[in-house]
Parts: sequence; C-alpha cells; structure tokens
Amino acid sequence: MVRAPANNMKIRPYLYTLLFLFMAVVLSITIGSVFIPPADLGRILTGWLNRATFSEPVKTFAFILTDIRLPRTVLVLLTGAALGGSGAAYQGLFRNPLADPYLIGVASGAGLGAVLAMSYKWPYSFWGLMAVPAAAFIGALLTVFLVYALARVGKTIPMTNLILAGVAFGSFATALTTSLMLRSTGELHRVISWLNGGSSQAGWHPVLAMLPFLLFGLGILLLSGHVLNLLQFGDDQAQQMGLPVTRVRTLILLAASLATAAAVSFSGIIGFIGLIVPHVMRLWFGADYRRLLPLSIIGGAGALLLADVMARAVMAPQELPVGIVTALVGVPFFLWVLRRAKNQGYW
Amino acid sequence: MLCIENLSVSYGVHRVLKDVSLEVNSGEVVALIGPNGAGKSTLVRAISGVIPVESGRIYINEDSDAAHQGSRSRSSVNLLSLPPMPRARFLAVVPQSASLPPAFTVWETVLMGRTPYLNFLGQVSAKDEAIAHLGLQKVDALDLSERRVGELSGGEQQRVLLARALAQSTPILLLDEPTSNLDLHYQVSFMETVSALAQRDNLAVLVAVHDLNLAARYADRVSLLVDGGIKATGTPRQVLTPELISTAYRLPVQVIPHPFVDVPLVLPGNK
Amino acid sequence: MFPKCLFLLLIIPLGTACGPARTSAPGAISTEPPASEVPAGTSIRLTDDLGRTVTLSGPAQRVISLAPANTEILFAIGAGAQVVGRDETSDYPAEALALPTIGGYSGFNLEAIVSLQPDLVLAQGGGFNSPELVSSLEELGLTVYVLPNPPTVEAMFNNLGKVGALTGHGAGATALVDSLTMRVAALDEKILQLSFPTVYYELDATEPTKPYTAGPGSFVDLLIARAGGINVGAELQGQWAQISLEQLVVANPAIIILGDAAYGETPEKVAVRPGWGTLAAIQTGQVFPIDDNLVSRPGPRLVDGLEAMAKLLHPGVFK
Repeated sequence: MVRAPANNMKIRPYLYTLLFLFMAVVLSITIGSVFIPPADLGRILTGWLNRATFSEPVKTFAFILTDIRLPRTVLVLLTGAALGGSGAAYQGLFRNPLADPYLIGVASGAGLGAVLAMSYKWPYSFWGLMAVPAAAFIGALLTVFLVYALARVGKTIPMTNLILAGVAFGSFATALTTSLMLRSTGELHRVISWLNGGSSQAGWHPVLAMLPFLLFGLGILLLSGHVLNLLQFGDDQAQQMGLPVTRVRTLILLAASLATAAAVSFSGIIGFIGLIVPHVMRLWFGADYRRLLPLSIIGGAGALLLADVMARAVMAPQELPVGIVTALVGVPFFLWVLRRAKNQGYW
Repeated sequence: MLCIENLSVSYGVHRVLKDVSLEVNSGEVVALIGPNGAGKSTLVRAISGVIPVESGRIYINEDSDAAHQGSRSRSSVNLLSLPPMPRARFLAVVPQSASLPPAFTVWETVLMGRTPYLNFLGQVSAKDEAIAHLGLQKVDALDLSERRVGELSGGEQQRVLLARALAQSTPILLLDEPTSNLDLHYQVSFMETVSALAQRDNLAVLVAVHDLNLAARYADRVSLLVDGGIKATGTPRQVLTPELISTAYRLPVQVIPHPFVDVPLVLPGNK
Repeated sequence: MFPKCLFLLLIIPLGTACGPARTSAPGAISTEPPASEVPAGTSIRLTDDLGRTVTLSGPAQRVISLAPANTEILFAIGAGAQVVGRDETSDYPAEALALPTIGGYSGFNLEAIVSLQPDLVLAQGGGFNSPELVSSLEELGLTVYVLPNPPTVEAMFNNLGKVGALTGHGAGATALVDSLTMRVAALDEKILQLSFPTVYYELDATEPTKPYTAGPGSFVDLLIARAGGINVGAELQGQWAQISLEQLVVANPAIIILGDAAYGETPEKVAVRPGWGTLAAIQTGQVFPIDDNLVSRPGPRLVDGLEAMAKLLHPGVFK
C-alpha cells in the first residue's frame, strides 16, 4: 500500500533550514568589528521591547545594532535568498548541474551598467546615488532580454541556444566592462569594489529598493516547484503531460532574473551561493522542486549570512570581499557534502 | 476514436510526413511499423503537439462506436487547436524510457501524470492519488512505489511510464517504441499489458514498434509507414506480407503462419 | 538624523570648490584672503566637493580622516590632537600611526567609525572616497565633509584653509599656507632662469615595453612643469597615459623619475630592462626614485614633492 511520507518527514527539512537561518541571523547581528558584550546585548534587546533609552556606551552599541548591523543583515539575507532561489530555478530550467544565476549574463550586464554609470558624475542626491544600482539593474535585465530574444527559434526557446547566447553576451559585456575600467582609472577602485561586493551602502534604502522585485520574483519561484519538476522530464514529456512549456519557461526565467538582478544591483556579484546551495539541499533533502525551491531560498539566505559574518570577522577590522569567502569556504564544504552523500542518483 | 487526416509535417524544407491518414478506434491497438527514419516517432510527436504541423487535421470523436468511423458531426474535438493542458486530457504519451530524471520516486513520477487536472502548484487530491495508485496497480508496479526511478531496470521504468500515462486518464494512448530497450520477457509482458488495457478500459492505442512480430501478435491493426507516407493499413495478415515488408525494409523476408497463435510470423532472409 | 544645526550665517571668505581654477603660472600667488580663526562655539558653514552645505556648531574636536592626505593636512595645521581615527594608508606623520584605523583600501568599517563617535569625518573627493560611502555615513547621522581634489598647488592651499576653519585652526592653516607660498614663490623665481630638461615620470612599468606615465592634466604633469621640466608624457592622452618604448626612445628624456619606486623599481632594475639601454638618461645615470606619496597626496607635502623634483631636475640650483 502506498503511503504519503509521514508528516514529520515533510516538516523536518524546513525546520532544520530555518534553524540554520535563525542561527546565521543571530551571528550576523552579534558579530562585528565592534565587540558588544553579551550583557549589553541582552539589555539592548530587552530595552527594545519597552522602548528604553540607553546611556553610553550602550547607546552607541544599540545604534550600531539597529542602524548598521540590522539593515546589513536584512540586505545580505535577501541577497542570499535571491541567489539560492534563482540558482535552484536555473538548475531546474536548464536541467544542468552547472547552472547558476549568472548563466545567461545577468552579472555581466549588471557590471557593465554599473561601470557605465560610474563614469559619469551624478549629482549627490537620492536619485543620483541610486544611479549606479539602477543602471546595474537595467543592464542586467536588458542582457536577459537580449539573450532571450537572440535564443528564440520560432515559438520555442531551446535551452542550448539560451546558454550559448548567454555565454556569448556575457563575454561581450565583460570585455566592454574591462575596457571601460582600463580607460577610467580614476574610478577603477570604486568599480572593483562594487564588483566584489556591492556598494556597501548603509541604511534601509537598498533593502527597500530591492524588496518589490525580490518579493515578486521569489514569490513566483516558490509557486513554480511543480512545473519545474515537470520540466525535468524534458520539453517533450512536459508538454505531453499538459505543460505549456515555452510560456512557463519564460515566466520562470523572468522571475529568477528579476530577483537576481535586484540582488546583484546592491550587493555586487557574489558567486557560489546560487550554484552550491541548491546542490546541498538536493543532496540532503531530495530533488523535488516544490521543496527544493523554498529550502534553497532559506539556505541561500543563511549561507550568505554566514559568509558575510566570516568576511567581517576573520580579518577584523578589515573586511574581506564576500565573494572570496563564498568560494574559499563554500567549495570545500560542498565537496565534503558530496562525498558523504549516500544517494548517488541525487541529481 | 482518434482520426488523423492528411497530416503533413516538415522540418524546414524537408517534408518528413506526407499526407498521413490514420484512424485508431477505441478498444483497439494499432501498431505503427516502418523502417528507421520513416517518421514513426515524428508522427507520435506531431499528434501529441510537440512539433508543429504543416497541414492536415487531427481530431477525436468522442463517440467510440466504430460504426461512426469518419463521422465529424458528433462532438468532435480538434486536437491541433487545443492548448497543451486540455490536449493532455485526451491523449497521453509513453516515451522511450531513456530520458527519465533518476531522482524522483516511482510514486512521484506517476503522480505527475495527473498534471492536466492539477493547478499550477500541482496540488494533489485524494482522488488523484487513487487514480495514480490504480495506474500502478494495472501495470503491476505497486511494489516499486518508493524506489527511485534511476535504480530501476529498463523494463520496470517502462512500466512506470505506462502507469504515468494511465494516470493521465485519457481515452487515447500513444506509445513511442516502448519495447526498444526491453529484453524478451519485458517486451512480451509489456505488450500484453497494453493489449489488455486497451480492451478492458476501451482505450484507443497507437503503438510505434520496431519488432514486426510483436506488432503481429498484439495489434488489432497495423499501419506501415515508409518515407513519411502510409503504405498500407489493415489487419496484421493484410499488411505483413512479403511484398510489402521486403520493399519497405529493403530486405527479403519470409512470412509464415505463427506456430502458436493465428497471426503471421515474419522471418528475415530468403526462402 | 542630521544633527540639529543652528543656521548662523558666518561666511568664511575662502575659495570654495566652485572657485575659479588657478593656472600654474610661475610666480602667481594666491590672492584669496586668509582664513580667519573661529572662536569655539561659533557655527561653521562650508560647502564641500559634492555641493553639500556642511554645518558644524563649533570647531570639530573628534575628526576621522578617510584619506592619507587629509591626515597629513590635519596634523600639519596643528589639529593632530583632534584626530581620533585614520584610514589604513595614512602613514604620515609618525604620530598618526598611533591612531586607530577604520578601514581603507578594501572598504571602510562603519561600525568602527561610529564607535569612535566623531563629530566630523573628512573625506577626499575626486573618486577617492565614493559617494556611496559619504551617503552611508550621512545615513548614520555623521557629519561628513568632502575636500575637493585640488587641480593646482594653490587649490590645495584652499583645502588647508577649509580644514583649518572646520577644526578651529584657522591661524595654523594660514601660517602654513604662508610658509608654503613663500617656498613655492622662491622656487618659481629660480626656475625662470633655467633651461628645462625633458623628464619621463614613471607611474607603472609592469609591462616594460608599454609603461604608464603621467599624462597631460595630471598633477604630476603640473609639478614637473612647475619644477622646471618638460614632461614627455604631455604629448599623450589621458592622465594615466601609456607610452610605448619606441616613443620613449624617440623622446629620449634627460631624466627618468621612478614614481613606482615604492613598488620595487630601482635605477639598477631599469638599467637592465631590454631595449632601455639606449636611453640617454640611463647611460648618464640620471634615473632617480622619488617618494610618490609626496606628489600624489593632495596635502602640504606636495610642496616637498615639488622641491624634491626640482632638486632632481636642477641639482646645481636646488640643494
């Protein structure tokens, strides 16, 4: 007799992953270059509940918590969520274990947009400061649109064409970006900084700017687990089972690219999260995309938070670029998980 | 009943299906035979809507009575005009087992067959589960439910695919060379299952097969496709003649009566 | 979260960022009135390089410097005791090394900056400190002043005056400007009588056949002219100009100044570069290292750099 999996099996993956995320959030808030003694931490947290005011030095600590660490934690959390979710979606769409959110050129397009914006001296105002992230965002989406249009064959979008067009376009954009960087040596440092880890903008503005695109994009992805499962059988079988393949594929591509573009615009280009987190989730919790997507979103958020904490703490007060930490730590971790995986047919 | 009328399909300038007409009645198994490159798979894919059709009609008469063959006046559904989801409620395809994602369990795979009746999220009701369960039962694969598809043998995978197509609850079943990768035992058992299902559940079944003797044994009618065109359609005895077969396959063959059942037996080679 | 400011208009007659650019004509002296000393408790209002009006309720007592040039300026005008934090690359004067660092090349540490509770953060414009950084600090309620990147030595004097006003060391700034002006004037006068040798100033030679030199409009180009030399890079394009070895051979500079000495280039190494042996400067041994901090940091040591360069170009005249 066939039984659906027991209820605790369904819940456990979510519990574990949410716990992981919670721990990462706690670490991100409590660790920074300024050491806040746990006693003061406790006082601040309880003080928040009854709106207490503090005296120095706790006042500065509280300020650091609410105005520096908290917005940064939320920003990193959202970025990791976007990367994890779109990484899983791309791997499902392309049926390729090497797929990551930058496969069809989002990163290169964003980089080009940012560099172009940085070569112009914008007025110092709210919109002037938004120019670079906005240009990155537009660059990212334009690239996806162009790649998609290039890859179209009649009414279908063959996956191979998408990958080829994406790689070609990405290389083109990167080459343009590099040549621009060589020409404007004054801005070189700022560009490299941005590429490696975003604009380091404090405050809630980046979070608020990212949020609508993230909610929309990740929202759609969360609902797309079933159709991604279907797509694993190939275009033919998926269509024969009733899926309007091209339409669904376009929708998921758009949603994933939107989320990635929003994340990249404010956090720069951070690798490995979108590639490795979905794989780890797949190894531990199975390849059902209805579960894999939300788990990759939560796991990506936690993983990036951890990487960010390490980037801040390892060489304090200096900060390593987060992208370096994700590579140096993420890859060995993934290899370890891979070796220990019992199910060889996990993909 | 599935009616295909004057169907033509081209890949670019190359025409691969020329004016194909074919009917499959409910309750019968029609075997589609022909040499490599004749267009058997193309026909199956064209009917299921995966490749675009250049000209011709494909429709379903909901009235299953053979006497109304060719009639278009009663509840006729034009398959070509249907979007994928409604179309998938009329016909299901059993592909070759080569391209199955190995990580899903058998149960999960079969449940996917219910997609045409599910919402975007794929939420499954008790009824859907019952139908999937029934499908697995019919192909005698219930004991495989919790196994991963990647761990199964070719024969087991093929049965799972059949169960999935059955879960789709369609009046028409298309099978694209399902026995190509199976050993003798599974070839026979699979075709027996298909034949029994066609009769019992009144399905219209179109099977593309390589093996002429399987076709002879298990099909009610046979259709010979050569170079994109139908050369002959009829009972196995009518179509599996030395003249037709040796011309089609460019190989001299002999046809003798089968020693155990009342069907022809095709043997390659001269007398 | 801006500090509540009293908008008492106390106009300080200093050249602001929008002031006219001075040409580096030898002998020209800044005609702007000196910065007046501001008594504590009086509000200070200045416009910075980003066009923002920055207001302090009194001279800044806790200053964080985000650029090595700013650190040098602060100490040079006598405000060293008011500096509470510096960026990592600030290494002059020696007293600055005792200050806590708050980041630098690979980003600035907002927490460290905030925990030092500065009342003024001094940034450098012209791309050195990004506008995002300034905006972040503003978001956190800090007062940030961005000094413009001076195109001329005289413009740098203006910066000294501004920092003096911000920190209540107007007199110190004025004194410094006066002494620097005298040194520059003396140098300008001596130059008038001399013949100018051709100079190649090397910025980077990772690729010895295509090194980078100071192009037209760059500060080094300016300094070379003012120190009495002819920059071979002045014919090229862009401030960070690439010159080919062939062009260099044709130009055949009399003197080679190694601005990349800090990165390991020495006259001995240059002499053995393939193809460089034909250059007159190498054969006559006229290859000299220079401390590039003296010419690249827009602070008072620019005058030291100018004098150092003049000494290299005209060794007989400048001791």
